[in-house]
Amino acid sequence: MIIPERSRWFPVLILLLVGGLLGLSAPENRSNSQIEVIPQSATPLDGMQAFDQVMQVLTHKRCVNCHPAGDRPRQGEDSHYHNFGVQRGKGNHGVAALTCNTCHQAENNNYAGVPGAPDWSLAPRSMAWEGLSRVEIAQSILDPARNGGRTLAQTVSHLTEHELVLWAWDPGVDANGIPREKPPVSKVDFIKAVRAWAAAGAPIPAK
Amino acid sequence: MSTENKKKGFSRRKFLTRSAIGLGVILGSGYLSRNLIRRYLAGAINELEPSYQGNTKSPSLWFEITAANEIILHSPKVEMGQGTFTGLAQIAADELEVDISQIQVVHAASASGNLDGLSTGGSTSISGLWQPLRELAATMREMVKQAAAQQMGVDVAELSVNNGVITAAGKSLTYGAVVKEVSEWVVPKTPPLKPIKDYKFVGKPVPRVDLRDKVLGAPIFGMDATMPDMLFGAVVRPPMIGATYAGADTAAAAKMPGVVKIVSEPDFVGVVATSRMAAENAKQAIQANWTTEKSWQTADIEAMIKVGQGTPYVIQKSGNAQRLLAAGEDIITAEFKSPIGAHAQLEPNGAVAFVEGDKATIMISTQVVKLTRGEVAKRLGIAEENVNIQPTFLGGGFGRRLHTPNAVQAAVLSKAVGKPVKCFFDRQEEFQNDTFRPPTHHVLKAKLDADGMIAAIEHNVSSGDVMFGSPMFPALAEPLLGADVGAWRGGMIQYGAIPNYQTISWRVKLPFATSWWRSLGLLANTFAIESFMDELALKAGKDPVEYRLAQIQDDEAGTRLKSVIRAAAEKAGWRDEVVDGRAMGFAASTDAQTPCAQVVEVSIENEEIKVHKVTCAIDPGLAVNPDQVRAQCEGAIIMGLSATMYEQMIVKDSVLYPTIYGPYRMALMRDAPREIDVVILENTGVPGAVGEPPLGPIGAAIANAVFRLTGRRLREMPLAIA
Amino acid sequence: MEVSFLINGVSQRVDVDADTPLLWVIRDILDLKGTKFGCGKAACGACTIHIDGEAVRACAYAVKFAEGKSITTIEGLSVGDKLHPVQQAWMEEVVPQCGYCQPGFMMATAALLEKIPQPTDQDIDDNIVNVCRCATYYRMRKAIHRAAAIKQETR
Repeated sequence: MIIPERSRWFPVLILLLVGGLLGLSAPENRSNSQIEVIPQSATPLDGMQAFDQVMQVLTHKRCVNCHPAGDRPRQGEDSHYHNFGVQRGKGNHGVAALTCNTCHQAENNNYAGVPGAPDWSLAPRSMAWEGLSRVEIAQSILDPARNGGRTLAQTVSHLTEHELVLWAWDPGVDANGIPREKPPVSKVDFIKAVRAWAAAGAPIPAK
Repeated sequence: MSTENKKKGFSRRKFLTRSAIGLGVILGSGYLSRNLIRRYLAGAINELEPSYQGNTKSPSLWFEITAANEIILHSPKVEMGQGTFTGLAQIAADELEVDISQIQVVHAASASGNLDGLSTGGSTSISGLWQPLRELAATMREMVKQAAAQQMGVDVAELSVNNGVITAAGKSLTYGAVVKEVSEWVVPKTPPLKPIKDYKFVGKPVPRVDLRDKVLGAPIFGMDATMPDMLFGAVVRPPMIGATYAGADTAAAAKMPGVVKIVSEPDFVGVVATSRMAAENAKQAIQANWTTEKSWQTADIEAMIKVGQGTPYVIQKSGNAQRLLAAGEDIITAEFKSPIGAHAQLEPNGAVAFVEGDKATIMISTQVVKLTRGEVAKRLGIAEENVNIQPTFLGGGFGRRLHTPNAVQAAVLSKAVGKPVKCFFDRQEEFQNDTFRPPTHHVLKAKLDADGMIAAIEHNVSSGDVMFGSPMFPALAEPLLGADVGAWRGGMIQYGAIPNYQTISWRVKLPFATSWWRSLGLLANTFAIESFMDELALKAGKDPVEYRLAQIQDDEAGTRLKSVIRAAAEKAGWRDEVVDGRAMGFAASTDAQTPCAQVVEVSIENEEIKVHKVTCAIDPGLAVNPDQVRAQCEGAIIMGLSATMYEQMIVKDSVLYPTIYGPYRMALMRDAPREIDVVILENTGVPGAVGEPPLGPIGAAIANAVFRLTGRRLREMPLAIA
Repeated sequence: MEVSFLINGVSQRVDVDADTPLLWVIRDILDLKGTKFGCGKAACGACTIHIDGEAVRACAYAVKFAEGKSITTIEGLSVGDKLHPVQQAWMEEVVPQCGYCQPGFMMATAALLEKIPQPTDQDIDDNIVNVCRCATYYRMRKAIHRAAAIKQETR
């Protein structure tokens, strides 16, 4: 319903109030995702087991599609190039008038089947994973020259807390309303595995 | 053109009368003569002169003159981008003696009585109305002048007219002022028309009359229509081909917020709600049941579309190609294919309907106002005169709006709630419930003589239906014609100097709706024939342009075709060699008697075909608006390029995919040629078809250029080189 | 939920479901019909608008995100009778055919010219990826260059 402007201060007040509420409350979600039942591991993972689990996620298309080797994002379960020739752009957020945010917002839009999360963007070129082996991806994320200058602790926090990373477990539905495939390891297990791997000194197998 | 099909002046009305007579002849005749009649009819249809199927006698149905001296032209033809409103305004302004700025063109509501008997389609709007509208406008002018003479007390001969102002003996009256005083009109005899050279607007590149509205984003489309107190509807549509509705569980949907009513009909289920999202959300909650007989895959469809299967109809025959091409090592054969194509027009189908008692009003984007009216009346069980169809601007037509079950659905929903209801397709439904361009398969055979010229050629086309099954044509047409007119459109051999040629149409009925798609069979048929012509020219060691010219007959159609071929080659600087990684490709076609030739300039970049430039020569007879003829050529070329290079629907477990732009790849800005050069020839002085003919040559021209670059002959649309 | 924003310079407050696509708020509630529905999937660009100066596809934008934002639609591109340079150029080149997709293209172009005042053909190819079925791309490209020139002249 249209409520015409009555006072100059009123909208500002509403804006502050609603903005505040939005900031405090968890984002609403229309996704049909079920609450996951996480099997509890009986024994703590050793470093190599943890590595395996972490890599099952990082090599999944949900991650690799936005860590492409070139300047074109990929999309979909078949990792095709992003439709309409979408490009990385200078700051990894798309080109001047066709940014990621032209279509992608801070959360999934399940009416449109357009995925979204805060800071929706491509991983920088230095963080390209497409075509890399598990070992190479691991080396890459531990290498401050390529991982955005992160320490191991910062990398752990990126992998376990960043909303864009965690979107992989809440990927919403596609344009046909079909739920997107999630990584083969649950979010909780992944977070545990990342921590266990780091705690074990982030070991990388020979191959 | 075949020599036996030279009968001219077949108006469509005459043709339909003859069809009825023809049926009697056919029923009492044997197979041979039936085929002869069919071929005769096919030839006649191919050379049909467009004729308008509505009122051409009452100027008052067409023109409304306001006190402000504006002329409102109530157009029975709809504006879907083709520029018809502008052409009609030009024609009317010239004969009415007014400035074009004084003319406002609007869609005639069906209740106005100015109703087109058939459709807006087939590139016939301007050509069909050229004569009637000039006569109507001239008659209207005379009518106003006669009234003015009476009011001014002078003789009609003393009046002069300029920009809608009538002057005599120092006194002036506007049309508007004259009209205000008249209560009863006397329709005079049709006055002589002005010579074309005296026209001020016809033949000039007048800006489109709808330009400003379209640049401002004015609410002119069906999707924008509203009525007071309007509710929103949504209809559940079949998710797969061959699905029959078998009831639905609507309990959950009925309880959802905003839902006003669930509407269960024998053939569909819908919902009416207070907002669009409430309607959409409720629709998602409806569990509809569908029965299907079998699960279809793309491979099943491809297996059906195969020359040699089904019934062949010889639609064109000259000499004895059949005997010459029956056997022999020197017979050259080639096959071509085209896929299922979607209309993908930007404005989805839908309507706003209000049914009140035994009356109904429908606002809708439709190409078939009269049919839409009839369908709504039939479903509601009310008189056609009680249904008023108010056409809106169309957000693209392309043949998609020649069937409008969406009007019926909106009307049924409205009747159920007693209020106006707006109900539209979503995009997925548009892609999955389209009336598709049918897939085709072509087999071409030829034999060359000692000089490399074509001694005999045969084109076989297998296609899903286009015209058959369309409510626009009587079921009678099917047994009468045998072959589907739309499927073979553009499929006849246009090189009449070849001594032996024939075209055979193989009809296939597919399990999903296939129908009219801009230019019908022209794109695929020309792709096949003109690719093959290129192969034959290369085989004969001749220049493809010269090779074509040498095999065209010298009658009017042939002369016009030769003139566009020469014009395109000359303007493009045609050369049959690769320069700087770019090759040219050539093709020509004749559609609805409008010949068109195109030269493309192509390179391969990043393993993709890149079309840099298209030169197009077209002879529409007379260009009422040269700028809009250009616009139609530019659009048709890029649309044809898009269909040739990218577009394809597939069937998986009976579901049609893709369901969205992007996966259904279409030409974007980056794919469009940077240069399009259009040459307009006007060889007859009478306007002919424009909207579809330039779609013909582009596919073959591109494939021919790709062959020169890569040595690979691409025989399937969409063209793939990777 | 209630959401307030500025649209074409006018403040508006609407009370709708938070996830309602902004497109339907603009079209059905605010009755601004120039922003078109083409696909509802952010694929065609017919619903392109500006939100705080950025090109956004309104069909995939939940209204709750519009809180406090400044929105411009095609109706706000021109000021009174004065057409935006993009609209002027579109008139000069007689771009529209059916016209349905054109508001989205003009909005995308207007956003492009704010970021890249003199776009190259490559810039146009990279940034303007809306869909036009009448395929008016050839004239659009000319009109985009022309609009850039008009903007330059009137600066």
